[in-house]
Amino acid sequence: MLRYVVNRILLMIPTMIAISIIVFTIIQLPPGNYLESYIAELQAQGESVDPQKIAFLKQEYGLDKPPVEQYLRWVGGMFRGDFGYSFEYNLPVTKVVGDRMFLTIIVSAFTILFTWAVAFPIGIYSATHQYSWGDYGLSLLGFLGIAIPNFMLALVMLYLANVFFGTSIGGLMGPEFIGKPWSWPKIVSILEHSWIPVFIIGAGGTAGMIRKMRANLLDELQKQYVTTARAKGLPPGKVLRKYPLRMALNFFISDIGSLLPHIISGAEITAVVLSLPTTGPMLLAALKSQDMYLAGSFLMFLAFMIVVGVLISDLALVALDPRIRLQGGVAR
Amino acid sequence: MMRLPASLLFAFTLVVLGVGATRGEEPPLLKADVEAGKLPPMAQRLPRTPLVVDITRPDWTIGRYGGELRTLLAKDRDIRMMVVYGYSRLVGYDDQLNLVPDILERVENVDSRIFTFHLRPGHRWSDGQPFTSADFRYFWEDVANNTDLSPFGLPRILKVRDRGPRFEVLSDTAVRFTWDEPNPMFLPALAGPSPLYIYRPAHYLKQFHPRYIGLDKAKAQAKEAGARSWAGYHQKKDEQFRFDNPDLPTLEPWINTTPLPSTRFVFVRNPYFHRVDKAGRQLPYIDSVVANIADGKLIPAKAGTGDVDIQARDLRFDNYTFLKENAKRNQYRVLLWAKGIGSQIALYPNLNVEDPEWRKLMRDVRFRRALSLGIDRHEINEAVYFGLAKESSNTVLQRSPLFRQDFRTAWTKYDIKAANALLDSIGLGKRDAHGLRLLPDGRAMEIIVDTAGESTEETDVLELVRDSWRKLGIALFSRPSVREVFRKRVYSGKSMMTVWSGLNNGIPTSEMSPDELAPTAQEQLQWPMWGQYYENGGKGSEPPALPDVKELVDLYEKWRLSGSPAEREQIWLQILGIHAQQVYTIGIVSQALQPIVSRNRVRNVPAEGLWSWDPGSYFGMYHPDTFWLDAQETR
Repeated sequence: MLRYVVNRILLMIPTMIAISIIVFTIIQLPPGNYLESYIAELQAQGESVDPQKIAFLKQEYGLDKPPVEQYLRWVGGMFRGDFGYSFEYNLPVTKVVGDRMFLTIIVSAFTILFTWAVAFPIGIYSATHQYSWGDYGLSLLGFLGIAIPNFMLALVMLYLANVFFGTSIGGLMGPEFIGKPWSWPKIVSILEHSWIPVFIIGAGGTAGMIRKMRANLLDELQKQYVTTARAKGLPPGKVLRKYPLRMALNFFISDIGSLLPHIISGAEITAVVLSLPTTGPMLLAALKSQDMYLAGSFLMFLAFMIVVGVLISDLALVALDPRIRLQGGVAR
Repeated sequence: MMRLPASLLFAFTLVVLGVGATRGEEPPLLKADVEAGKLPPMAQRLPRTPLVVDITRPDWTIGRYGGELRTLLAKDRDIRMMVVYGYSRLVGYDDQLNLVPDILERVENVDSRIFTFHLRPGHRWSDGQPFTSADFRYFWEDVANNTDLSPFGLPRILKVRDRGPRFEVLSDTAVRFTWDEPNPMFLPALAGPSPLYIYRPAHYLKQFHPRYIGLDKAKAQAKEAGARSWAGYHQKKDEQFRFDNPDLPTLEPWINTTPLPSTRFVFVRNPYFHRVDKAGRQLPYIDSVVANIADGKLIPAKAGTGDVDIQARDLRFDNYTFLKENAKRNQYRVLLWAKGIGSQIALYPNLNVEDPEWRKLMRDVRFRRALSLGIDRHEINEAVYFGLAKESSNTVLQRSPLFRQDFRTAWTKYDIKAANALLDSIGLGKRDAHGLRLLPDGRAMEIIVDTAGESTEETDVLELVRDSWRKLGIALFSRPSVREVFRKRVYSGKSMMTVWSGLNNGIPTSEMSPDELAPTAQEQLQWPMWGQYYENGGKGSEPPALPDVKELVDLYEKWRLSGSPAEREQIWLQILGIHAQQVYTIGIVSQALQPIVSRNRVRNVPAEGLWSWDPGSYFGMYHPDTFWLDAQETR
């Protein structure tokens, strides 16, 4: 087991190197570089730039160097915890991301908790009361949740809030707290503001989760061991909790792998619509303006999260499901 | 006209209430600090002779202090707009486009060759340190002539025939720049929205400069901050235009207090600002400006829901109906200002296109004229711009003293017959089975127009142009791409024709540079290679091949070295005349409108104005420092 874990961790290194090459290549693929798209953007607004200054920046940012050298410099820096320099903000990448990462994790964590808290009971109810009115009603809601894109829901909510309450629901904290150091009132303000984005971002995921939970549980409920347990006289609640529910949880654990990167990049478009100070809009903007080290570092971090997430879910599955553990042991 | 009596009445109320009656009344925001002795009283914060802002517009009133003005920007980096709107310049344009001293007390100009600048004695930076000729000296000696900070030499505007000026410090408040030959570009460059900064807050920047702290310390400091070199670090701290360093002292009306990155930027009043109103009260009236960051595409929607006090950036004309619809409910006005660009939309035949057959045609003036005659501008104006724009070639606007009616109308009358006759005369008489004319080598005439793919406005207009060009026997296809690809295709000659807006400056006076009318830069879509040739100082690629284009270059050079206003005007008119007759760019409509959302409580925003980058600095020349918030209006 230990060898397996060490092997998996060692395997992550070449994976990450391969990913870094792919990420860097893809970022370099669109024509031009940051300065060129910067000039193009200024000119589109009728502004002009001093060519002398552009030449200076090109030298300063190292954009006049060959791509291979730029790549090595970037990767070399990452090992020392230096993720490069964001051209757009004129700051080291780590400083740019700063608070945003934390806020994103808060929103995402709440969203995940919200999703679970709502989806679990409803999924179980739907499965155990299959084809009842409750099941139909909740399924309908679930389908609506899947069908309506999050950002659309956000736009509708923005509009309704303005028309009926005359307020604006964007943002993640009261305006007086933006850019201020952390304090208790600030945390309270974030909690007050976060339920709307959490609801909007979570809506789609919740609906999907309900459907998955229902389907998995239904599969298990029809199996013979359930019938046997019932026949032996176990109370229905205990049957459910002890056997089929546990079996149905596997999908849920293997989901962790895709959940972790979601924490960083989740719901970019919704975050743009709601003006959330999370990392999604920043990643989007960095990609658009070819701010390559900022975008690259984000993508690397996402890749890292996926790799770690898959590892965690694999290990968790091994730990939780004796079938996987035992068969895996035999193969090894 | 309905507004006039109301505003007069309002002015009257103000007088009765006695607002602004006391000279030197402190803004309430600063009162506590002044009383506590943390800040000197107003009289000591102002220069000895402050700039008195005297606006004579009938709806302009003396304002009241206080309040927070909210606006939206699309990106963190757009906070430079506050420098554009603040428009505190050594010299600046007033709303009649006259160049007048602003930060400077006066300018002595001998033949556009010797410029003597007199500062306002007692003028201070936003941190209270004196603003003196030492700040000019720092720029000249320690920035512009420092090989690390300016490895590529002086800014181009400071060079005449590759030679820089002589710089002298005459006294604490006077400096002089002397060129051997005239440099008429100098003052307009200082008055630009993104001005040439020839001064720096020396007392602040010295702490990053090796001359003052030693090379080792400068390098160590930079390394610690994660910069690649001390020059990069100095540069980063010294971004007067980007406005992203809250520690950098400024002369603008509002100071940025928020470092990047943020989603909300707060700009607070500069207690040492050098302008006063007629009553002698220090400007700005508004205590703080708050700029929230929202996606550019959402800004119209947010402006419509009353999230802003004033907004123009990122609003487009096609948002007008939506904005108007919500105006009453959310208590704002939608103003329409005239745009200051030459043409709202224009076609650029690429005279450097790589296909030899097409290149020959594009360089044939008869062909360009025929294309221009074959556009039904009236229909386009009615269909796309509600008939509110003007059908026009790509020339200067009526407001410009250089405007001539015949520049506007030259080759713009919709006349299919004349256009066909012109095309026949070039020898393009043969047609294929579909009625398309044939090129001499037998290909059908199909013009592909590249667009930057950013607005449906462009494609709508092209659609209409296509219909009328079909009657000339020419097919038009549009090819949308993205900005960078678009530019690459033009520069390399792959693109035949492009669509873009017209002259950046549609309201020039003869004192402003005609550079965008001569091939001087690669980004000029009609002759990128000739522009690049000039940019590189006559090296590489190809020199202008047409005699009229060469003449444009000569005229531009002549303007650059001209010492007399009369001669400069003469040159301008000659240049515009050549453009009108040669149709290097095919203008379609001009004077489209820019919607501006202004909350009812915001006062002194002119109902009609000019929305222009240079000259004008957008809001800048209308003095946002005199905008004020009327507390009696509900939020």
